[in-house]
Amino acid sequence: MNTDVNMHPSSELLNQFIQGELATGKSVVVSAHMELCRSCCAKAKELEALAVSSWVDPSIDQSIAPELDAQSDTDYSAMVASIVTSAQLTSVPIAEVVDVQMDVLIDSITLPKVLAKAAQQGLNWKRVAGGISEAQLILDDETQCEFIYMAPGSKAPVHTHKGSETTLVLKGSFEDELGEYKASDFIVRDTQHHHQPASKEGCLCFAVLDSPLKFTQGLARFMNPVNNYKFKKALSKAAIS
Amino acid sequence: MYRSYAKQEGFSNEVGLTVRLASMNNSTQTLDTEDSDISDENLLIAVGNHQDVNAFNQLFERFSKKIFALGMKLTRNEQLANDLIQEAMLNVWQKAPLYDLDKGSAKGWIFTLSRNRCFDMLRKQKRQPSCVSADDIWPPDSGAEPTSLVHEDRGGLEVELSLIESYFDQLSDPQRAVVEQIYIHDRTHEEASAHLRIPLGTLKSRLRLAVAKLRNLIGVEE
Repeated sequence: MNTDVNMHPSSELLNQFIQGELATGKSVVVSAHMELCRSCCAKAKELEALAVSSWVDPSIDQSIAPELDAQSDTDYSAMVASIVTSAQLTSVPIAEVVDVQMDVLIDSITLPKVLAKAAQQGLNWKRVAGGISEAQLILDDETQCEFIYMAPGSKAPVHTHKGSETTLVLKGSFEDELGEYKASDFIVRDTQHHHQPASKEGCLCFAVLDSPLKFTQGLARFMNPVNNYKFKKALSKAAIS
Repeated sequence: MYRSYAKQEGFSNEVGLTVRLASMNNSTQTLDTEDSDISDENLLIAVGNHQDVNAFNQLFERFSKKIFALGMKLTRNEQLANDLIQEAMLNVWQKAPLYDLDKGSAKGWIFTLSRNRCFDMLRKQKRQPSCVSADDIWPPDSGAEPTSLVHEDRGGLEVELSLIESYFDQLSDPQRAVVEQIYIHDRTHEEASAHLRIPLGTLKSRLRLAVAKLRNLIGVEE
């Protein structure tokens, strides 16, 4: 079943994003999609209004934060007193107006700002298989994040996911058994999906995995230990940096 | 120009006279009705315009528990949740001059600011790479676009845009420049005002007029 015909984050995911509940990698991929999608921005705005009204709902106050009254060891008057001695910002810090370009193999593309910012840590492109290259980004210690470039005519091995894989198409398009995906499309795949992405025209994607891929067919199965290793490596890098 | 909203006559007097210092050690004390009548927005603007400590105390009284609850939910750590009160309320104080009614409700403004500080605090605590911060993930102007022309998906947008283009010529040059910056180059208000070298307030009012005119030409109902 194609569960994401709309190619947008689900309301549940958008809500977790708004509430700040997602790890950095997932937050970045949702944010990058929103930069490309006005309808999700509008939807997020509505969800945010709901989140704010439940946040200020006095009945929720009592159930979650009874500890504050009991805390006698924090001197809130002193906290306020120290805060009001600090300087205020007098002007809007203006973000630099820069069009960020990233050279990706054969082409150049303007990335969503949040991805351009993240990519400043440096991209190290590695050829994987069948015309596919990847460059990892380290954003948190729970996910493996990477740019994926599929050359025109390339095909990935059939695989499923132990956890979920969230993919944002940035340029070009790719296809699998369930459909065709174009720039700004947001695709979530989990353990139910066996799929084999292929790209006729070539594409650049950003993907966030919350556990390693598992290849299910042919010789590619031998890559499974490698995938586990890669995932662990991504996590351990995050832990030490 | 960010302060224009607070310049209505009598505003600062109202806050200055009726807000009393609320003691934080005595949270059982209830505010008298006059105090609680003042909107969060007016308190925040008073803090931004006059460094009004009493108004800040009011905001602290109203929001510190909420911020603590948010911190508990996201960090499950009492110490961090307490630190969040400090971080977030410090940020409220520092950024209050940047708040205006165009940024939406004060509650929403304080919520997003608290969420962002919590996100950065957690990242720091987990020693995650600092290449992206909360303000990159939730950029200040994202979605805060009440003047959006169309909400449809890509298909709808293309059709509408081709229509709208034909109305473009009817805008004045300065109006067209602003609409181009925001809707075609997808810049934030701040970026566009820097790019066009006009004050942010001017940009916003120009954009509002231009969008109203376009809506009128297209025949979109508010």
